[in-house]
Amino acid sequence: MEFLDPTHESDARPFALAKRLATLEGATVAIVSNGKKGTLPFFEAFERELKSRFGVAEVVRLAKSNYSAPAEPPLLRDSARWHALVSGIGD
Amino acid sequence: MNALASKRYAMEDPAAIQEFFHGRGWTDGLPVVPPTPDAVRACLEGALLEPAHLVGVEPVRGRAITAEKLAVNAVMAGCLPAHFPVVVAAFTAMLREPFLLHGATASTGGCAILLVVNGPIRRELGMTGTFNALGGADRASAAIGRALRLVLRNLMDVRPGDVDRSTLGHPGKLSYCVAEDEEGTPWLPLADERGAPPHASSVTVMAAGAPRQFMNEWTTRPVEILDTAAAEIRANMRHYSIWPGNYALVLPPQLRAHFDAAGWRKSDVREYVFGQARVRRSEWAGCGKGSVVGDRGEREYAALRTPDDLLVIAAGGPAGGFGAVIPSWYGSKSSAVTLAIGACVDCEA
Repeated sequence: MEFLDPTHESDARPFALAKRLATLEGATVAIVSNGKKGTLPFFEAFERELKSRFGVAEVVRLAKSNYSAPAEPPLLRDSARWHALVSGIGD
Repeated sequence: MNALASKRYAMEDPAAIQEFFHGRGWTDGLPVVPPTPDAVRACLEGALLEPAHLVGVEPVRGRAITAEKLAVNAVMAGCLPAHFPVVVAAFTAMLREPFLLHGATASTGGCAILLVVNGPIRRELGMTGTFNALGGADRASAAIGRALRLVLRNLMDVRPGDVDRSTLGHPGKLSYCVAEDEEGTPWLPLADERGAPPHASSVTVMAAGAPRQFMNEWTTRPVEILDTAAAEIRANMRHYSIWPGNYALVLPPQLRAHFDAAGWRKSDVREYVFGQARVRRSEWAGCGKGSVVGDRGEREYAALRTPDDLLVIAAGGPAGGFGAVIPSWYGSKSSAVTLAIGACVDCEA
């Protein structure tokens, strides 16, 4: 019996990883939360670590307006201004 | 019809075929009908669709969904060719932006896709909407609902622990399809009330929690029956989510008879529930959630943004004063979508 593959057969769009930073010293790092309260204490601690251990100059804290949907286009456009972006979820 | 594009496999032993599908995570844990090229072509021919017909593109992940791949999964679920147009319409509706398919199917909230079928196609497919209405009432309802789940699994990677991050989920995730009992009510069909062409065959999809059954066999007054339904909605607001959005209300013949006798229409039901299904934030204190009441204890929350958020569905067996409230996944993050079967999306203004 012959039958067909039910999957998308790996038609996912290809993408490339962003260029890695050699150092975080003096960098501006954005942290994008999914907007849930559970991210707050974690990202506060994360921000302290970024500054104290890695010399990050500035941390920009942002949150999506809908934690179940992709980030809004303006937020994604702004990402070009930062050296690095960390996207994290919390519950 | 143009050639089918899917990769082909050949195997003879029926048990080995089932293990092949199970081993690759292509099934929901139940056996599948092997999607042979002939069976898939029959679905496509019945719906007058070419294999490469683009049903839609999932907006978050940008994944293109073709008619061929829908048909493969529909056959696996046990669909007959006559069932396939319902599957196509339902998935087309699910791809609409307000439905937020990715969020609804990935969320820890664990909702399922509730599909309500209206119009003449119900009769053609033997969809009853009566006995055991929410539990797989007939072959078509069971297979069509299952097809949607297999499509999500195989085309959107919505497998438990993969894209599906549900904490619990619920049994409706295997199949959650109900036909409205249009012959058993003078009420307008759900789809007609939601703007579908009158008397057309249509689907309505909703990202939905499990049904919450209620019972009131001790009154003939519509307001008292709806007070019970509204209390069930309020319980959901206290125990699960306070945010407003769609709710479905399923009413069986024994309860509907009282509404018919009193001259109540669906719009009357919606208006009354809209007024009654409200809680104050302070009510959370009585069910273990006092820590999030804050200083807004007197703030009132409505279950519905407008009366139209309530989907009133006539369905259920002839005896029993059992209704059901079906909550949305999570407030208004996903909105129910209604679509006529066979509607040409490209033709829409």
